[in-house]
Amino acid sequence: MTKDDINELQDGRRPNAAAPCNVDVVQNRVVQRRHPGRWLVAILIVIIALQAGQGMANNPNFHWDTYFTYLFSPFVLRGVGWTLLLTVVSMAISIPLALALVIMRENENPILQGVAWFWVWFFRGTPIYTQLAFWGLFAVLFPRISVAVPFGPELLSVDSRWVVTPAVAAIAGLSFNETAYLSEIFRAGFRAIDRGQTEAAQAIGMTKPKIWTRILIPQAMRIIIPPTGNETIGVLKLTSLVLAVPFTLDLTFATNAIANRTYLPVPLLLVAATWYLFITSILMVGQYYLERHYGRGHDMPKEGVR
Amino acid sequence: MMSNSTHTLSVEMDSVHKHYGQYHALRGVDLKVAKGEICVAIGPSGSGKSTLLRCVNQLESISGGRVKINGELQGYRERDGSFYPLSPGQVSRQRRRTGMVFQRFNLFPHMTALQNVIEGPVHVNGERKAEARQRGLALLDRVGLAGLGDRYPAQLSGGQQQRVAIARALAMEPEVMLFDEPTSALDPELVGEVLEVIKSLVSAGMTMMLVTHEIGFAREVADHVIFMDEGVIVEEGRPSELLGNAREQRTQAFLSKVL
Repeated sequence: MTKDDINELQDGRRPNAAAPCNVDVVQNRVVQRRHPGRWLVAILIVIIALQAGQGMANNPNFHWDTYFTYLFSPFVLRGVGWTLLLTVVSMAISIPLALALVIMRENENPILQGVAWFWVWFFRGTPIYTQLAFWGLFAVLFPRISVAVPFGPELLSVDSRWVVTPAVAAIAGLSFNETAYLSEIFRAGFRAIDRGQTEAAQAIGMTKPKIWTRILIPQAMRIIIPPTGNETIGVLKLTSLVLAVPFTLDLTFATNAIANRTYLPVPLLLVAATWYLFITSILMVGQYYLERHYGRGHDMPKEGVR
Repeated sequence: MMSNSTHTLSVEMDSVHKHYGQYHALRGVDLKVAKGEICVAIGPSGSGKSTLLRCVNQLESISGGRVKINGELQGYRERDGSFYPLSPGQVSRQRRRTGMVFQRFNLFPHMTALQNVIEGPVHVNGERKAEARQRGLALLDRVGLAGLGDRYPAQLSGGQQQRVAIARALAMEPEVMLFDEPTSALDPELVGEVLEVIKSLVSAGMTMMLVTHEIGFAREVADHVIFMDEGVIVEEGRPSELLGNAREQRTQAFLSKVL
């Protein structure tokens, strides 16, 4: 078999390349190049890392005993649970909401476009801390929530305190703020899809909702997931601001409270940092699998022969 | 083949105009394509031939005139001299009568070849997945791609992708197939395999409208050739007449450049 034959078969260009074929791989004996520079740099970095590690591990100012006392304390673990819950629920609310905003933005109805534009403008333009504080004050500002005919009789009415609890206020604040950022990310994702995709879908008689769910969203996901993973990690850390509500069960509040009691802020900052890092790592694993799922058809070798 | 009796007509265009803002892309096109006829449009780029094709399946809305398929007005209901636009759902239903093959294939990259083919039958027509799969595999076989159903578009050559696109359009069992420069984006050595597949549809009696720069192919398969320039049909006729013995000067000038 000549080299050209092999190339042609590997390209899979032949009309009948469907038939599997075994090719003897022609390969030179390649002697690995040596990289003394790489070794030097690696050794240097290891030395620096060891010194930095030793400097922290043996440093009495870090109070490692306190760190280990509180790392798994029930108070801290409850904070981890709430922080995780706030993050996951906020993202679970803001992702579909952001998607709805994008679809409104692309709609022909100018009122829907305007509402979506205003929403993004408002929630992106005001500080999250202020938004959280206002959600916390909701029950003060609007003591009762009622469903009524405009200028007519009241149909249903409840006490705001029972609806907008601190947890609800924290989740509302975090998720509404997040939708503004997410919808811009999503919009960029949809814009990146070739117009020909919509046309091909229209040509086989698909209706608009089907085009969104079957063609556009699955393709946009590939582009959207990495920045959305970023945003999720961002929200994880934004949860530390929920004391503006005030909501007092999250991880940062828990570790701060212990630090204030023991007068040892450093080990408790380290406890909080450790858990944030841990949660981020878990989220990154999830992102890896999502990216792999939605990358199908794209991030795969251009193999001709399998 | 160019019969005028209504029941044998497939596509009928009646003084169709298309404006893009200031630009007048189609300036009153009249065209009749009979059932089973192969109508090939040639002409310089920007002459409006692709626009013409895209008006047939309503990828472009027309500014004036009428487009009919099997006698049914496309995109509108006409009453008392006024045109009432159809709902998006009705437009989608009308589009199912036509299949389109694009210059740049436009396969769905997140689906395998087979999934591309059965997407319409399953998610538009509500066909059962097992049945659609059977038909899809048969269609892939028909376009010479048996065994490649599990490949993603990125794993296929241009010619293979275009053949999947043809199978995808055929899966909807259209009454008319529209080909918009189906070989223009292909490497020269891959053009032949796509033209072979199109030729096999010709012998199966499919009604087709084809925009192409392959004059030789047009001569071989067409029943009816139209030459377009600046948004009008300058000349039309049988391929032997138009390609061999053009009457109009503009047609002669174009053919002398491409032949």
